[in-house]
Amino acid sequence: MIQIDRLLAALLWLLGVLAIAGITHIVAVFALPEIVAKDTFARISELAKPGRLTILPPPRPDKQVMPFADPAMVQSVCPFDLSQGSLRLHADIEVGRLLTFSFRTSAGQVFYSMTDLAAQQGKIDAIVLTAAQLEIVEAEDDEDDPSQDLRLVAPEPQGFVIVSALALYPGDRADAEERIKSVVCAVEQVAQD
Amino acid sequence: MAIARKRGYSAHATILGKFLSAGCLGVFLGLFVTFVVVERGKGFGAIAAGPWTGWPRSGTSDTDPYTRAILAYSGEMSLSESEGMSFVAHGDSNGAEFDPACDYALKGEIPSARYWTLTLLSPAGAPIGNTAGRPGFTSSEVLRASDGQFEITLSRHARPGNWLPIGDTSKFILVLRLYDSALDAPATALDAANMPVLVRSRCE
Repeated sequence: MIQIDRLLAALLWLLGVLAIAGITHIVAVFALPEIVAKDTFARISELAKPGRLTILPPPRPDKQVMPFADPAMVQSVCPFDLSQGSLRLHADIEVGRLLTFSFRTSAGQVFYSMTDLAAQQGKIDAIVLTAAQLEIVEAEDDEDDPSQDLRLVAPEPQGFVIVSALALYPGDRADAEERIKSVVCAVEQVAQD
Repeated sequence: MAIARKRGYSAHATILGKFLSAGCLGVFLGLFVTFVVVERGKGFGAIAAGPWTGWPRSGTSDTDPYTRAILAYSGEMSLSESEGMSFVAHGDSNGAEFDPACDYALKGEIPSARYWTLTLLSPAGAPIGNTAGRPGFTSSEVLRASDGQFEITLSRHARPGNWLPIGDTSKFILVLRLYDSALDAPATALDAANMPVLVRSRCE
């Protein structure tokens, strides 16, 4: 009888351990991206100012801003903080050259992305807004002359845009950098009246 | 009376000890499992084709929590769905891990994409320096036979044709990126036959 009691007690204890292990595991898996996000965003903010497109140095064996980056890609980052205003992105597209855009939260999660193939009449015009800013912009819309902007609502006020250009040959790097430099990424004030 | 009280205390202490030990062990076990899962780097969304593993949904907003944790841990800014797809190989087509002392040949089909790049990296995602200064190949750089076929040789020593130097390292991985690929559909079922094979040849 006592042995069964002990066995039951041990079983209960084991169940308790497993339950706590399970909860810890789930919490850790969900918390990890949040913890790392602060780190990633801090690292990016160190290199680039909000509302400014900054070209990242090419990855080197001893130093990379982002691990697993493609060395054939010239990468640039434009952090944004929508509490300071919305973010405007404009690019004139050169046909046939790969240029990619990914709009990310501070954790690096993509909320919108496109390549140069999404350009209309050789141009990409996008504006990143909060839901509140979108309402203001929409209220000001002229019905006869609708805006051609691609309006993207960011899930959180802070984040960054990664713009990358592919250099097919090592000698094309300067050219790819030029293509990125022609992209405009700037803070735009939304009238709040 | 005193003995009974003493017994009561020790019973409380045992129960408290049981709770504490269960709590500590549980937390430790939970963190350990999380670490193993994240370190192994396999989420639910992974698809495998021969030696290659890819995450079709890694860049989308409906990524599963495991893939998200794995990506956060590695620090990788994964390609988004409309940019393309990336695949990683840790070993050859026979399932053996890459050995830098051996030569490997990459040949066969590459799924259709506007551009692709093949990069040799350390398992942590850092480029590996080599004397030739070549980190990888792009779809335009690779030399092809008249029928469009090509073969890339991975080796520590200079090889004719498409030579991808392994460099001075003890471990390496290969990353194949397909930009603007036709594989964008998340439901892609990848066939090993449509991915390049990695064959080990001679070793030092």
